Amino acid sequence: MPAASGSAAGEPPNGRGRAGAPVRRLLALGGHDFTTSPPDRAVCELLLRLAAKRGGERPRICLLPTASGDPSEQIGRFYAAFSERACQASDVSLFRLGRRPVVLREHLLSQDLIYVGGGSMVNLLAVWEAHGVAAILAEAWRRGTVLAGQSAGAMCWFEAGITKSSGRAGVAQGLSMLPGSLCVHYNNEPDRRAAYLEAVEAGLPDGYGLDDYAGLLWEGDAAPAAVAARRRARVYRVRRRPEGVTETPLPARLLPSPVPAALREDILEFRRLRALRRRTGRLG
Amino acid sequence: MYKHAAPTPTHHSAMETAPRQIVAFGGGGFSMESGNPLLDDYVLGLCRSPRPRVCFLPSASGDADHYIVRFYRAFPAERCEASHISLFRREQGPANLREHLLSQDLIYVGGGSVVSLLGVWRAHGLDAILREAWEAGVVLCGLSAGSLCWFAEAVTGFHGSPRRLRGLGLLPYSNCVHYERGGERSDAYHRFLREGMVSGYAAEDGAALHFIGERLSHVVASRPRARGYRLDAHADRVVEMQLATTYLGDARARPGVPVPEALSTAAAG
Repeated sequence: MPAASGSAAGEPPNGRGRAGAPVRRLLALGGHDFTTSPPDRAVCELLLRLAAKRGGERPRICLLPTASGDPSEQIGRFYAAFSERACQASDVSLFRLGRRPVVLREHLLSQDLIYVGGGSMVNLLAVWEAHGVAAILAEAWRRGTVLAGQSAGAMCWFEAGITKSSGRAGVAQGLSMLPGSLCVHYNNEPDRRAAYLEAVEAGLPDGYGLDDYAGLLWEGDAAPAAVAARRRARVYRVRRRPEGVTETPLPARLLPSPVPAALREDILEFRRLRALRRRTGRLG
Repeated sequence: MYKHAAPTPTHHSAMETAPRQIVAFGGGGFSMESGNPLLDDYVLGLCRSPRPRVCFLPSASGDADHYIVRFYRAFPAERCEASHISLFRREQGPANLREHLLSQDLIYVGGGSVVSLLGVWRAHGLDAILREAWEAGVVLCGLSAGSLCWFAEAVTGFHGSPRRLRGLGLLPYSNCVHYERGGERSDAYHRFLREGMVSGYAAEDGAALHFIGERLSHVVASRPRARGYRLDAHADRVVEMQLATTYLGDARARPGVPVPEALSTAAAG
Protein backbone atom coordinates (compact mmCIF):
# COMPACT_ATOMS: atom_id res chain seq x y z
CA MET A 1 0.00 0.00 0.00
CA PRO A 2 1.29 3.47 -0.79
CA ALA A 3 0.92 4.69 2.82
CA ALA A 4 3.08 1.90 4.21
CA SER A 5 5.81 1.70 1.60
CA GLY A 6 6.00 5.47 1.15
CA SER A 7 6.86 6.21 4.73
CA ALA A 8 9.26 3.29 4.83
CA ALA A 9 11.34 4.63 1.97
CA GLY A 10 11.45 8.24 3.06
CA GLU A 11 12.38 7.76 6.68
CA PRO A 12 15.57 7.50 8.64
CA PRO A 13 15.81 4.27 10.69
CA ASN A 14 15.16 6.01 14.01
CA GLY A 15 11.50 6.06 13.08
CA ARG A 16 11.20 9.83 13.01
CA GLY A 17 9.13 11.49 10.35
CA ARG A 18 10.40 14.33 8.21
CA ALA A 19 9.33 16.92 10.77
CA GLY A 20 11.35 15.12 13.46
CA ALA A 21 8.39 13.96 15.51
CA PRO A 22 8.09 10.19 16.06
CA VAL A 23 5.71 8.44 13.67
CA ARG A 24 2.88 6.68 15.49
CA ARG A 25 2.52 3.14 14.21
CA LEU A 26 -0.04 0.55 15.14
CA LEU A 27 -0.77 -2.84 13.60
CA ALA A 28 -4.12 -4.43 14.46
CA LEU A 29 -4.48 -8.10 13.49
CA GLY A 30 -7.70 -10.09 13.32
CA GLY A 31 -5.96 -13.30 14.33
CA HIS A 32 -2.32 -14.45 14.39
CA ASP A 33 -0.08 -16.85 16.29
CA PHE A 34 3.66 -17.50 16.51
CA THR A 35 3.59 -20.87 14.77
CA THR A 36 5.71 -21.90 11.78
CA SER A 37 2.76 -21.79 9.36
CA PRO A 38 3.47 -19.54 6.35
CA PRO A 39 0.79 -16.91 7.17
CA ASP A 40 1.95 -16.71 10.80
CA ARG A 41 5.53 -16.27 9.63
CA ALA A 42 4.53 -13.68 7.03
CA VAL A 43 3.02 -11.56 9.82
CA CYS A 44 6.17 -12.02 11.94
CA GLU A 45 8.23 -10.74 8.99
CA LEU A 46 6.03 -7.65 8.85
CA LEU A 47 6.52 -7.16 12.59
CA LEU A 48 10.30 -7.36 12.14
CA ARG A 49 10.19 -4.83 9.30
CA LEU A 50 8.07 -2.44 11.36
CA ALA A 51 10.35 -2.82 14.38
CA ALA A 52 13.41 -2.18 12.20
CA LYS A 53 11.94 1.14 11.04
CA ARG A 54 12.28 2.34 14.60
CA GLY A 55 15.12 0.29 15.97
CA GLY A 56 17.43 -0.37 13.02
CA GLU A 57 19.31 -3.65 12.69
CA ARG A 58 18.55 -5.23 16.05
CA PRO A 59 15.23 -3.78 17.16
CA ARG A 60 13.79 -4.54 20.58
CA ILE A 61 10.54 -6.53 20.41
CA CYS A 62 8.51 -7.21 23.53
CA LEU A 63 5.55 -9.56 24.01
CA LEU A 64 2.74 -8.67 26.43
CA PRO A 65 0.77 -11.92 26.89
CA THR A 66 -1.47 -10.40 29.60
CA ALA A 67 -4.79 -11.12 27.87
CA SER A 68 -4.37 -14.86 28.26
CA GLY A 69 -2.80 -14.78 31.71
CA ASP A 70 0.83 -14.97 30.54
CA PRO A 71 0.75 -18.66 29.52
CA SER A 72 4.20 -20.14 29.07
CA GLU A 73 3.23 -21.91 25.80
CA GLN A 74 2.46 -18.60 24.08
CA ILE A 75 5.65 -17.04 25.42
CA GLY A 76 7.61 -20.07 24.22
CA ARG A 77 6.16 -19.80 20.71
CA PHE A 78 7.00 -16.08 20.63
CA TYR A 79 10.64 -16.76 21.48
CA ALA A 80 10.76 -19.62 18.96
CA ALA A 81 9.59 -17.15 16.29
CA PHE A 82 11.92 -14.28 17.19
CA SER A 83 14.93 -15.44 19.21
CA GLU A 84 16.90 -16.52 16.12
CA ARG A 85 16.05 -13.40 14.20
CA ALA A 86 17.77 -10.02 14.01
CA CYS A 87 16.07 -8.54 17.07
CA GLN A 88 16.18 -8.52 20.85
CA ALA A 89 13.10 -10.36 22.06
CA SER A 90 11.67 -10.05 25.57
CA ASP A 91 8.37 -10.57 27.33
CA VAL A 92 6.68 -8.84 30.23
CA SER A 93 4.54 -11.25 32.27
CA LEU A 94 2.52 -9.21 34.74
CA PHE A 95 1.53 -12.39 36.56
CA ARG A 96 5.17 -13.36 37.09
CA LEU A 97 6.70 -10.08 38.19
CA GLY A 98 7.50 -11.72 41.53
CA ARG A 99 9.93 -14.16 39.95
CA ARG A 100 11.05 -11.88 37.14
CA PRO A 101 10.94 -8.26 38.29
CA VAL A 102 10.88 -5.68 35.50
CA VAL A 103 10.84 -1.90 35.79
CA LEU A 104 7.73 -1.67 33.63
CA ARG A 105 7.96 1.91 32.40
CA GLU A 106 11.65 1.74 31.59
CA HIS A 107 11.40 -1.61 29.85
CA LEU A 108 8.32 -0.79 27.78
CA LEU A 109 9.49 2.67 26.73
CA SER A 110 12.78 1.21 25.50
CA GLN A 111 11.03 -1.14 23.03
CA ASP A 112 10.80 -0.63 19.27
CA LEU A 113 7.76 -2.87 18.97
CA ILE A 114 5.34 -4.16 21.59
CA TYR A 115 3.14 -7.10 20.61
CA VAL A 116 -0.01 -7.69 22.63
CA GLY A 117 -1.34 -11.23 22.53
CA GLY A 118 -4.97 -12.29 22.44
CA GLY A 119 -7.27 -13.65 25.13
CA SER A 120 -9.72 -11.84 27.37
CA MET A 121 -10.01 -8.15 26.45
CA VAL A 122 -11.75 -7.38 29.75
CA ASN A 123 -8.99 -9.05 31.80
CA LEU A 124 -6.29 -7.45 29.65
CA LEU A 125 -7.53 -3.95 30.37
CA ALA A 126 -8.27 -4.70 34.04
CA VAL A 127 -4.77 -6.04 34.67
CA TRP A 128 -3.15 -3.20 32.71
CA GLU A 129 -5.18 -0.72 34.73
CA ALA A 130 -4.08 -2.36 38.00
CA HIS A 131 -0.42 -2.14 36.96
CA GLY A 132 -0.62 1.26 35.25
CA VAL A 133 0.47 -0.26 31.92
CA ALA A 134 -2.04 1.41 29.56
CA ALA A 135 -0.65 4.90 30.19
CA ILE A 136 2.91 3.65 29.57
CA LEU A 137 1.87 2.04 26.28
CA ALA A 138 0.18 5.24 25.11
CA GLU A 139 3.35 7.14 25.93
CA ALA A 140 5.53 4.58 24.13
CA TRP A 141 3.27 4.87 21.05
CA ARG A 142 3.56 8.67 21.03
CA ARG A 143 7.35 8.28 21.27
CA GLY A 144 7.46 6.01 18.24
CA THR A 145 7.28 2.47 19.64
CA VAL A 146 5.24 0.37 17.20
CA LEU A 147 2.21 -1.14 18.90
CA ALA A 148 0.94 -4.41 17.45
CA GLY A 149 -1.50 -7.01 18.60
CA GLN A 150 -3.96 -9.67 17.62
CA SER A 151 -7.51 -10.34 18.75
CA ALA A 152 -7.98 -8.77 22.23
CA GLY A 153 -4.51 -7.25 21.68
CA ALA A 154 -5.85 -5.48 18.57
CA MET A 155 -9.27 -4.39 19.85
CA CYS A 156 -7.89 -2.89 23.08
CA TRP A 157 -6.59 0.24 21.26
CA PHE A 158 -10.03 1.21 19.91
CA GLU A 159 -13.05 2.80 21.55
CA ALA A 160 -14.70 -0.60 21.67
CA GLY A 161 -14.36 -4.20 20.57
CA ILE A 162 -16.41 -7.40 20.49
CA THR A 163 -15.11 -9.76 23.13
CA LYS A 164 -16.04 -13.15 24.52
CA SER A 165 -14.48 -12.24 27.89
CA SER A 166 -17.73 -13.02 29.68
CA GLY A 167 -18.44 -16.19 27.69
CA ARG A 168 -20.72 -14.82 24.98
CA ALA A 169 -19.77 -12.25 22.32
CA GLY A 170 -20.47 -8.74 23.55
CA VAL A 171 -19.20 -5.17 23.48
CA ALA A 172 -16.23 -4.17 25.65
CA GLN A 173 -14.81 -0.70 26.02
CA GLY A 174 -11.22 -0.14 24.87
CA LEU A 175 -8.52 2.47 25.48
CA SER A 176 -9.77 4.84 22.73
CA MET A 177 -6.27 5.48 21.39
CA LEU A 178 -7.73 4.86 17.93
CA PRO A 179 -11.19 6.10 16.99
CA GLY A 180 -14.06 3.76 16.25
CA SER A 181 -14.55 0.08 16.93
CA LEU A 182 -12.97 -3.18 15.87
CA CYS A 183 -14.18 -6.76 15.54
CA VAL A 184 -11.61 -9.57 15.15
CA HIS A 185 -11.88 -13.19 13.85
CA TYR A 186 -14.53 -11.63 11.62
CA ASN A 187 -15.59 -14.41 9.28
CA ASN A 188 -13.92 -17.04 11.45
CA GLU A 189 -16.38 -16.63 14.34
CA PRO A 190 -19.86 -15.87 12.96
CA ASP A 191 -21.33 -15.11 16.42
CA ARG A 192 -18.77 -12.38 16.93
CA ARG A 193 -19.54 -10.77 13.56
CA ALA A 194 -23.29 -10.97 14.27
CA ALA A 195 -22.82 -9.31 17.66
CA TYR A 196 -20.72 -6.58 16.01
CA LEU A 197 -23.25 -5.82 13.26
CA GLU A 198 -25.99 -5.66 15.86
CA ALA A 199 -23.95 -3.34 18.08
CA VAL A 200 -23.07 -0.98 15.21
CA GLU A 201 -26.72 -0.93 14.20
CA ALA A 202 -27.56 -0.01 17.81
CA GLY A 203 -25.11 2.89 17.86
CA LEU A 204 -21.60 1.50 18.49
CA PRO A 205 -19.11 3.74 16.61
CA ASP A 206 -18.30 2.61 13.04
CA GLY A 207 -15.16 0.56 12.61
CA TYR A 208 -13.54 -2.44 11.01
CA GLY A 209 -13.93 -6.19 10.82
CA LEU A 210 -10.71 -8.20 10.53
CA ASP A 211 -10.52 -11.85 9.51
CA ASP A 212 -7.77 -14.04 10.94
CA TYR A 213 -4.52 -13.13 9.13
CA ALA A 214 -5.89 -9.78 8.01
CA GLY A 215 -4.66 -6.55 9.54
CA LEU A 216 -4.76 -2.79 9.50
CA LEU A 217 -1.61 -0.72 9.75
CA TRP A 218 -1.70 2.88 10.89
CA GLU A 219 1.42 4.90 10.12
CA GLY A 220 1.36 8.55 11.07
CA ASP A 221 -1.74 10.45 10.08
CA ALA A 222 -2.36 8.50 6.86
CA ALA A 223 -5.43 6.33 6.46
CA PRO A 224 -4.76 2.77 7.64
CA ALA A 225 -3.40 0.29 5.12
CA ALA A 226 -5.02 -3.14 4.88
CA VAL A 227 -2.69 -6.15 4.81
CA ALA A 228 -3.35 -9.88 4.53
CA ALA A 229 -1.15 -12.90 5.12
CA ARG A 230 -3.62 -15.22 3.47
CA ARG A 231 -5.35 -14.76 0.15
CA ARG A 232 -8.88 -15.05 1.47
CA ALA A 233 -8.34 -12.96 4.62
CA ARG A 234 -10.35 -9.74 4.38
CA VAL A 235 -10.53 -6.35 6.01
CA TYR A 236 -14.01 -4.77 6.14
CA ARG A 237 -15.03 -1.22 6.76
CA VAL A 238 -18.21 -1.47 8.82
CA ARG A 239 -20.50 1.56 8.92
CA ARG A 240 -23.97 2.45 9.99
CA ARG A 241 -25.91 3.93 7.06
CA PRO A 242 -29.51 5.07 6.83
CA GLU A 243 -30.28 1.88 4.91
CA GLY A 244 -28.55 -0.31 7.51
CA VAL A 245 -25.06 -1.45 8.47
CA THR A 246 -22.72 -1.86 5.51
CA GLU A 247 -19.62 -4.05 5.24
CA THR A 248 -17.18 -2.94 2.55
CA PRO A 249 -14.10 -5.10 1.89
CA LEU A 250 -10.95 -2.99 1.57
CA PRO A 251 -8.20 -3.81 -0.93
CA ALA A 252 -5.41 -5.45 1.04
CA ARG A 253 -1.71 -5.81 0.27
CA LEU A 254 -0.82 -9.51 0.35
CA LEU A 255 2.19 -10.02 2.62
CA PRO A 256 4.97 -12.06 0.99
CA SER A 257 5.21 -15.66 2.16
CA PRO A 258 8.67 -15.89 3.72
CA VAL A 259 11.31 -18.48 3.01
CA PRO A 260 12.35 -19.84 6.41
CA ALA A 261 15.70 -18.48 7.55
CA ALA A 262 17.14 -21.97 8.10
CA LEU A 263 16.19 -23.06 4.60
CA ARG A 264 17.66 -19.88 3.14
CA GLU A 265 20.95 -20.65 4.89
CA ASP A 266 20.91 -24.19 3.51
CA ILE A 267 20.30 -22.96 -0.02
CA LEU A 268 23.11 -20.43 0.23
CA GLU A 269 25.45 -23.08 1.63
CA PHE A 270 24.53 -25.48 -1.19
CA ARG A 271 25.14 -22.78 -3.80
CA ARG A 272 28.52 -21.91 -2.29
CA LEU A 273 29.51 -25.57 -2.31
CA ARG A 274 28.33 -26.06 -5.87
CA ALA A 275 30.28 -22.98 -7.02
CA LEU A 276 33.35 -24.23 -5.21
CA ARG A 277 33.05 -27.67 -6.77
CA ARG A 278 32.56 -26.19 -10.22
CA ARG A 279 35.73 -24.16 -9.82
CA THR A 280 37.72 -27.13 -8.61
CA GLY A 281 36.22 -29.24 -11.38
CA ARG A 282 34.98 -32.02 -9.12
CA LEU A 283 31.37 -31.54 -10.05
CA GLY A 284 30.13 -31.20 -13.58
CA MET B 1 -28.62 -11.60 59.63
CA TYR B 2 -27.30 -13.87 56.85
CA LYS B 3 -29.94 -13.12 54.34
CA HIS B 4 -28.60 -15.11 51.38
CA ALA B 5 -30.09 -18.54 51.49
CA ALA B 6 -28.45 -21.42 49.69
CA PRO B 7 -29.33 -21.11 45.99
CA THR B 8 -29.62 -24.84 45.29
CA PRO B 9 -31.54 -27.46 47.27
CA THR B 10 -28.54 -29.85 47.28
CA HIS B 11 -26.52 -27.33 49.21
CA HIS B 12 -26.43 -27.90 52.96
CA SER B 13 -23.55 -26.06 54.54
CA ALA B 14 -24.36 -22.39 53.97
CA MET B 15 -27.38 -22.46 56.25
CA GLU B 16 -28.75 -19.21 57.46
CA THR B 17 -26.81 -19.50 60.68
CA ALA B 18 -23.49 -20.41 59.06
CA PRO B 19 -20.74 -18.11 60.32
CA ARG B 20 -18.59 -16.06 58.02
CA GLN B 21 -15.16 -17.72 57.83
CA ILE B 22 -11.86 -16.87 56.21
CA VAL B 23 -8.70 -18.93 56.51
CA ALA B 24 -5.71 -16.90 55.34
CA PHE B 25 -2.53 -18.93 54.75
CA GLY B 26 0.82 -17.19 55.03
CA GLY B 27 1.91 -19.79 52.50
CA GLY B 28 1.23 -23.51 52.22
CA GLY B 29 -1.35 -26.03 51.14
CA PHE B 30 -1.06 -27.96 47.87
CA SER B 31 0.52 -24.98 46.09
CA MET B 32 3.59 -24.92 48.31
CA GLU B 33 3.65 -28.02 50.48
CA SER B 34 3.54 -31.03 48.22
CA GLY B 35 2.90 -34.09 50.39
CA ASN B 36 1.71 -32.03 53.38
CA PRO B 37 -2.08 -31.74 53.16
CA LEU B 38 -2.57 -30.43 56.73
CA LEU B 39 -3.82 -26.94 55.81
CA ASP B 40 -5.97 -28.22 52.94
CA ASP B 41 -7.43 -30.88 55.28
CA TYR B 42 -8.14 -28.18 57.83
CA VAL B 43 -10.18 -26.00 55.45
CA LEU B 44 -12.04 -29.05 54.09
CA GLY B 45 -12.81 -29.96 57.71
CA LEU B 46 -14.57 -26.63 58.20
CA CYS B 47 -17.18 -27.61 55.62
CA ARG B 48 -20.26 -29.26 57.05
CA SER B 49 -20.99 -31.38 54.03
CA PRO B 50 -19.37 -34.87 53.90
CA ARG B 51 -18.49 -34.22 50.26
CA PRO B 52 -17.98 -30.46 50.12
CA ARG B 53 -18.17 -28.38 47.00
CA VAL B 54 -14.80 -26.71 46.54
CA CYS B 55 -14.10 -24.10 43.88
CA PHE B 56 -10.56 -23.03 43.03
CA LEU B 57 -9.87 -19.48 41.83
CA PRO B 58 -6.45 -19.42 40.15
CA SER B 59 -6.86 -15.81 38.93
CA ALA B 60 -3.66 -14.56 40.60
CA SER B 61 -1.61 -16.94 38.47
CA GLY B 62 -3.33 -15.93 35.23
CA ASP B 63 -5.26 -19.22 35.45
CA ALA B 64 -2.11 -21.26 34.84
CA ASP B 65 -3.00 -24.74 33.57
CA HIS B 66 -0.42 -26.58 35.66
CA TYR B 67 -1.80 -24.93 38.80
CA ILE B 68 -5.37 -25.98 37.98
CA VAL B 69 -4.19 -29.57 37.42
CA ARG B 70 -2.41 -29.58 40.80
CA PHE B 71 -5.60 -28.35 42.48
CA TYR B 72 -7.64 -31.23 41.05
CA ARG B 73 -4.97 -33.70 42.20
CA ALA B 74 -5.03 -32.26 45.71
CA PHE B 75 -8.84 -32.19 45.87
CA PRO B 76 -9.85 -35.52 44.29
CA ALA B 77 -13.44 -36.55 43.62
CA GLU B 78 -13.57 -39.00 46.54
CA ARG B 79 -13.04 -36.15 49.00
CA CYS B 80 -15.01 -33.32 47.47
CA GLU B 81 -16.80 -31.97 44.44
CA ALA B 82 -14.06 -29.84 42.93
CA SER B 83 -14.42 -27.13 40.29
CA HIS B 84 -12.52 -24.08 39.18
CA ILE B 85 -13.31 -20.76 37.55
CA SER B 86 -10.98 -19.46 34.90
CA LEU B 87 -11.70 -15.78 34.29
CA PHE B 88 -9.45 -15.90 31.23
CA ARG B 89 -11.59 -18.61 29.64
CA ARG B 90 -15.11 -17.68 30.59
CA GLU B 91 -16.55 -19.43 27.55
CA GLN B 92 -15.56 -22.78 29.11
CA GLY B 93 -16.64 -22.38 32.72
CA PRO B 94 -19.93 -21.88 34.54
CA ALA B 95 -22.00 -19.20 32.80
CA ASN B 96 -23.32 -17.75 36.03
CA LEU B 97 -20.38 -16.95 38.31
CA ARG B 98 -22.53 -15.78 41.22
CA GLU B 99 -24.72 -18.86 41.23
CA HIS B 100 -21.72 -21.17 41.03
CA LEU B 101 -19.76 -19.43 43.78
CA LEU B 102 -22.71 -19.11 46.15
CA SER B 103 -23.37 -22.85 45.84
CA GLN B 104 -19.89 -23.75 47.16
CA ASP B 105 -18.85 -24.87 50.63
CA LEU B 106 -15.29 -23.65 50.17
CA ILE B 107 -13.68 -21.15 47.79
CA TYR B 108 -9.92 -21.63 47.54
CA VAL B 109 -7.85 -18.76 46.09
CA GLY B 110 -4.43 -19.52 44.66
CA GLY B 111 -1.24 -17.48 44.83
CA GLY B 112 0.41 -15.17 42.34
CA SER B 113 0.01 -11.48 41.66
CA VAL B 114 -2.46 -9.85 44.06
CA VAL B 115 -2.51 -6.67 41.92
CA SER B 116 -3.58 -8.64 38.84
CA LEU B 117 -5.98 -10.74 40.94
CA LEU B 118 -7.88 -7.72 42.24
CA GLY B 119 -7.97 -6.10 38.80
CA VAL B 120 -9.45 -9.18 37.15
CA TRP B 121 -11.90 -9.86 39.99
CA ARG B 122 -13.27 -6.34 39.86
CA ALA B 123 -13.65 -6.54 36.08
CA HIS B 124 -15.88 -9.61 36.48
CA GLY B 125 -17.71 -8.44 39.61
CA LEU B 126 -16.14 -11.12 41.80
CA ASP B 127 -15.38 -8.64 44.57
CA ALA B 128 -19.11 -8.27 45.28
CA ILE B 129 -19.89 -11.97 44.72
CA LEU B 130 -17.17 -13.14 47.11
CA ARG B 131 -18.41 -10.79 49.82
CA GLU B 132 -21.88 -12.21 49.30
CA ALA B 133 -20.53 -15.77 49.48
CA TRP B 134 -18.67 -14.96 52.71
CA GLU B 135 -21.79 -13.49 54.25
CA ALA B 136 -23.73 -16.58 53.16
CA GLY B 137 -21.31 -18.83 55.05
CA VAL B 138 -19.14 -20.12 52.21
CA VAL B 139 -15.67 -20.64 53.71
CA LEU B 140 -13.07 -18.49 51.93
CA CYS B 141 -9.43 -19.46 52.01
CA GLY B 142 -6.22 -18.99 50.12
CA LEU B 143 -2.52 -18.52 50.32
CA SER B 144 -0.25 -15.61 49.55
CA ALA B 145 -2.22 -13.36 47.13
CA GLY B 146 -5.19 -15.54 48.13
CA SER B 147 -4.73 -14.37 51.73
CA LEU B 148 -3.86 -10.70 51.15
CA CYS B 149 -6.97 -10.13 49.03
CA TRP B 150 -9.43 -10.49 51.96
CA PHE B 151 -7.94 -7.72 54.07
CA ALA B 152 -8.39 -3.95 54.08
CA GLU B 153 -4.70 -3.46 53.44
CA ALA B 154 -1.92 -5.74 52.34
CA VAL B 155 1.85 -5.79 52.17
CA THR B 156 2.77 -7.22 48.81
CA GLY B 157 6.33 -8.21 48.05
CA PHE B 158 5.46 -9.75 44.72
CA HIS B 159 6.52 -6.83 42.54
CA GLY B 160 10.04 -6.14 43.73
CA SER B 161 10.27 -4.11 46.94
CA PRO B 162 7.29 -4.44 49.31
CA ARG B 163 4.33 -2.14 48.70
CA ARG B 164 1.07 -1.22 50.41
CA LEU B 165 -2.07 -2.28 48.67
CA ARG B 166 -5.83 -2.07 49.30
CA GLY B 167 -7.60 -5.41 49.35
CA LEU B 168 -11.29 -6.30 49.30
CA GLY B 169 -11.63 -5.25 52.95
CA LEU B 170 -13.75 -8.15 54.22
CA LEU B 171 -11.43 -8.18 57.23
CA PRO B 172 -10.69 -4.68 58.61
CA TYR B 173 -6.99 -5.38 59.21
CA SER B 174 -3.71 -5.38 57.38
CA ASN B 175 -2.02 -8.62 56.32
CA CYS B 176 1.44 -9.81 55.45
CA VAL B 177 2.23 -13.30 54.08
CA HIS B 178 5.43 -15.36 53.80
CA TYR B 179 6.38 -13.56 57.00
CA GLU B 180 9.90 -13.81 58.35
CA ARG B 181 10.86 -11.90 61.46
CA GLY B 182 13.61 -9.47 60.57
CA GLY B 183 13.15 -10.06 56.83
CA GLU B 184 12.50 -7.47 54.11
CA ARG B 185 8.72 -7.87 54.26
CA SER B 186 8.71 -7.62 58.04
CA ASP B 187 10.77 -4.40 57.92
CA ALA B 188 8.42 -2.96 55.34
CA TYR B 189 5.32 -4.02 57.31
CA HIS B 190 6.67 -2.34 60.45
CA ARG B 191 7.40 0.81 58.45
CA PHE B 192 3.91 0.86 56.92
CA LEU B 193 2.35 0.43 60.37
CA ARG B 194 4.35 3.39 61.68
CA GLU B 195 3.16 5.35 58.64
CA GLY B 196 -0.46 4.70 59.58
CA MET B 197 -1.37 1.33 58.10
CA VAL B 198 -4.19 -0.30 60.06
CA SER B 199 -3.12 -2.95 62.62
CA GLY B 200 -3.12 -6.49 61.43
CA TYR B 201 -1.82 -10.00 61.20
CA ALA B 202 1.15 -11.69 59.62
CA ALA B 203 1.62 -15.39 58.92
CA GLU B 204 4.74 -17.37 58.17
CA ASP B 205 4.81 -20.06 55.49
CA GLY B 206 2.83 -22.99 56.90
CA ALA B 207 0.77 -20.85 59.29
CA ALA B 208 -2.86 -19.93 58.68
CA LEU B 209 -5.09 -17.31 60.31
CA HIS B 210 -8.64 -18.58 60.86
CA PHE B 211 -11.15 -15.76 61.20
CA ILE B 212 -14.74 -16.34 62.29
CA GLY B 213 -16.71 -13.25 61.47
CA GLU B 214 -14.16 -10.46 61.74
CA ARG B 215 -12.43 -12.00 64.75
CA LEU B 216 -9.28 -14.08 64.59
CA SER B 217 -10.34 -17.36 66.12
CA HIS B 218 -7.34 -19.66 65.75
CA VAL B 219 -3.90 -19.81 64.27
CA VAL B 220 -3.11 -23.24 62.84
CA ALA B 221 0.00 -24.55 61.14
CA SER B 222 1.14 -27.34 58.87
CA ARG B 223 4.69 -27.08 60.20
CA PRO B 224 5.63 -27.36 63.89
CA ARG B 225 7.49 -24.07 63.98
CA ALA B 226 5.30 -21.87 61.72
CA ARG B 227 3.68 -18.97 63.55
CA GLY B 228 1.20 -16.15 63.16
CA TYR B 229 1.68 -12.66 64.55
CA ARG B 230 -0.43 -9.72 65.52
CA LEU B 231 1.05 -6.28 64.83
CA ASP B 232 -0.02 -2.95 66.28
CA ALA B 233 1.53 0.48 66.02
CA HIS B 234 1.55 2.63 69.13
CA ALA B 235 2.69 6.10 68.13
CA ASP B 236 5.94 5.35 66.27
CA ARG B 237 6.54 2.01 67.98
CA VAL B 238 5.39 -1.29 66.49
CA VAL B 239 4.42 -4.08 68.85
CA GLU B 240 4.68 -7.53 67.30
CA MET B 241 3.11 -10.38 69.27
CA GLN B 242 3.63 -14.00 68.40
CA LEU B 243 0.30 -15.81 68.54
CA ALA B 244 -0.29 -19.24 70.04
CA THR B 245 -0.34 -21.54 67.03
CA THR B 246 -1.76 -25.04 66.84
CA TYR B 247 0.36 -27.50 64.88
CA LEU B 248 -2.13 -29.57 62.89
CA GLY B 249 0.22 -32.54 62.64
CA ASP B 250 -0.09 -33.14 66.39
CA ALA B 251 -3.49 -34.76 67.01
CA ARG B 252 -3.35 -34.04 70.76
CA ALA B 253 -3.37 -30.32 70.09
CA ARG B 254 -6.94 -30.39 68.76
CA PRO B 255 -9.01 -28.38 69.40
CA GLY B 256 -6.56 -25.54 69.21
CA VAL B 257 -6.08 -22.81 71.70
CA PRO B 258 -8.39 -19.96 70.82
CA VAL B 259 -6.80 -16.58 70.28
CA PRO B 260 -7.33 -14.44 73.41
CA GLU B 261 -10.11 -11.87 73.16
CA ALA B 262 -7.65 -8.99 73.39
CA LEU B 263 -5.75 -10.17 70.31
CA SER B 264 -8.65 -11.39 68.18
CA THR B 265 -9.65 -7.97 66.88
CA ALA B 266 -6.89 -5.57 66.05
CA ALA B 267 -7.98 -2.11 67.06
CA ALA B 268 -6.70 0.54 64.67
CA GLY B 269 -3.39 1.62 66.16
